[in-house]
Formats: sequence, C-alpha cells, structure tokens
Amino acid sequence: MNLRRNPISWRFLGSICALFVLALLVLWGQLLAPARAQTQAAASAKQPAKASSKSAPKAAQAEQLGTPNKGVGSPTAPVTMEVFSDYQCPMCGQLFQQTLRPMINDYVASGKVYLIHRDFPLPIADHRFNWDAARWGTAAARIGKFEEVDTALYENARAWGADGNIQKYVASALNPADFKRVQKMVAGCLTQTPQEFRPAVQAGQSCSLDAFINQDIALGKQVPVQATPTYVITKRGQRMPPGSGLVSWPLMKQFLDSLLTQ
Amino acid sequence: MSKVAPTSLGRILLLLGRVALAAVFLVAAYAKLKPQGGMPWSPASVKISLAMFAMQVDSYQMLPVNAVNFVAHALPPFELFLGLWLLSGIALRFSSLITTLLLGGFFSVMVRTFALGLEVSCGCFGPGEQLGTKTLLRDGALLALSLAVFIGAFLIRREPDEVGASVGAVATPRRAD
Repeated sequence: MNLRRNPISWRFLGSICALFVLALLVLWGQLLAPARAQTQAAASAKQPAKASSKSAPKAAQAEQLGTPNKGVGSPTAPVTMEVFSDYQCPMCGQLFQQTLRPMINDYVASGKVYLIHRDFPLPIADHRFNWDAARWGTAAARIGKFEEVDTALYENARAWGADGNIQKYVASALNPADFKRVQKMVAGCLTQTPQEFRPAVQAGQSCSLDAFINQDIALGKQVPVQATPTYVITKRGQRMPPGSGLVSWPLMKQFLDSLLTQ
Repeated sequence: MSKVAPTSLGRILLLLGRVALAAVFLVAAYAKLKPQGGMPWSPASVKISLAMFAMQVDSYQMLPVNAVNFVAHALPPFELFLGLWLLSGIALRFSSLITTLLLGGFFSVMVRTFALGLEVSCGCFGPGEQLGTKTLLRDGALLALSLAVFIGAFLIRREPDEVGASVGAVATPRRAD
C-alpha cells in the first residue's frame, strides 16, 4: 500500500487510529472507573483509622479534652463540604466572604450542606499569627461557639494580622462568660501573639489545642492539600476530587444544585 | 532494504505528532466529562463533572460567571471534536492551527495565573491537579509539538509544488499528511 500517493489510505489509517483510541478510552472508562471507585471507598474507609493510628497520643489527648466541633449546619445534610483553610491566607478570607457566607445563609441553613472548617496553617513567614488564630477558633469550637469566632477571625484577619491582637475580635464575637472560657483554654498556647495580648497563664496550665489542629493537618495531608483554600465535597459517601482556589458563589451553587438533584 | 526518503520520514513524524496531540485532546476531554466520585455514566453525572470544571475555570479569576459557564460547557466537547479531527488528518493545516492557537491560549492563561501567585487547580486533565511548574512545562511542550505539526503540515503541503516547479512537471495536489 503506497500511503504517500494514496490519500484514501491515509484517511483510512486515520479513521482506524481514531476508532482504536476511542475504543481504548471507552475500555479505560469501563474497566478502571469501578476499580477506582472501590479503591477510593476503601481509602476513605481507612482514613480515620490511619489518622488515629498516626497520632495516637494526640488523639488520646483530644479525647480527654472533648473534640471541638468545627462544623456548621446539620451533620445529616446530604452534602458535606470540608474546607482546609489558613486564617491569614487572603484567598481563604475571600472564599469565606464571597462564597461560604452566602452558602451558610442558604444551603447550610436549609440543611442541604454541612460545612466543616479544617485548620491548615501554612508555614509562611508572613502568616505569623495563623497558628494562634487556629487555636482561638479551636477553643471556641470546644464550647460550641465556632461559627461566631470563625466569622470574626475571617472578617478581621487584616487587622489582627498586623498587630497580633486576636483576642480583641474573639471578645467582640462572644459574650463575656464564653470569652473567659475560651481565653482560659488558649492561655499558654499562644506563641506568636505579642505578650500584651496574651491571656495570663496560670500555674500548671498547658496547651492541648494543638493536638486538634495537628489532626486537621494530618487529614489535609491525606487529601492531599497543596494550597489553601482547598475544599473537598462529599455526597453520601461519594467523594469528589478536591478543588482549590477562589470560586464564586453562583458557580458553587450550580455545582451543589447539580449534586443535590443527582 | 530501501532507504527512507526525507519526505517519508517527515510524514511519519507528522503522523506521530498529530496522533499524540489527538490523544492528548481526547484524554483531556474524557477526563473533564467522566463522572466523578465513582458515579456511573449518566447525563446527570456528566452535568456534575461540567459544573465542577466550571468551578476550576472560575478559580483562574479571568472571566465573568456567564463566560465561565460557556467555556466550561463548550471546551470539553470542542476538545473531543479537535482530537477526532486531528486523528482523521483531514485539513491538518487548519486543525493544527486551531490546536496551536488553543494551546497558546491555555499556556498564556496558565503563565498569567502562575505569575499572579494564584494557587488553583489546573483543570487541564480533570480535577485535582494543582497548577505549577510541572503543568507549565507540560503545556509548553504540547504547544511546541503543536507548532511543529502546524509547520510540518504546511511544509509537506508545499513540497509537491516545489518539486513540480523544479522539474517542470505538473504537480498533483496532495493531502497535508
């Protein structure tokens, strides 16, 4: 067959190649998709066990203190969204303001979505107070006041990011009694916050909040989180691939709607 | 064993190049359309995949919501069409030109996003891949390959005319590949 002189042969060869590649793609989809789904299901089933086995002493410490609830909404909602975030990451703040807040007001309030905050403080020199902010948030979560403090932290990130006075904004988000409870928990934990803004440490008081933050980081590494914000959406055990960066609310809503109507 | 003529070698390289590009586009389209999270194939699961791709396009922060939706819903079918067109070899000069322009567009958007320091999912071959130097190098290499196929398609198309002119013979129009 002289391919050079016969254009029909080239066309024929091209069509054969096209059919071959299409057949391979279809086979790949049919054969690998169920296997991958099984692997994912197995992996997600193993994840909590793996996390707990990795940080056994930390888990024990967490157990002793009571697990902080960093979820917003109903845990029985059909869709769960986990957001791995750093309080000093500007894009995380934008995601909260532009997307998560309307989502909380609408889809979380109506029981369609359960939103979980996961701390993932990045080791960046500019983010001096991100661990301290995570500690305040975690302490508030332990007394069931996470949503209020979470909002205050995101809304004032630029202000406390400049001087380290996080407690000012936490105090404004809570009533005095709750603030005292939270303040007591973070006493001794704060490492980067300037001395004048740190609560007084009483004798024998130690920080146990970091265990919870480390648990979140361990979960994030399993995703794996490569940047913040990263979000993982699950619908009744069907875990979607992670997404990252800023997403506008109308497009997030469109995605949630298509997921909820599926 | 007969010696392979330079033109034949060029044609073989051109064939390999366009089949490689076609495969890349077909895989990219498939990865964007395929159901996520272990869902079965259905119009609803494809709709979810496209909605997820729309979120990735949006994270580049370049287009308004309506334009994002248009791009996210038009691009995967267009990639599928372009992949099949490249494989067929029909009017390769035009298909390779469109491929080069498309890959050039992708590359410039990625370079801009990387330069701005935005940490986003690439969205190149479905969700879950972070934009970084690796994805930039890969896209740059694909752009170079596409450019080579485009130039090759033109050169091979011109060859018969040049040969015809030199020997004074009437050249027969041939296919680019």
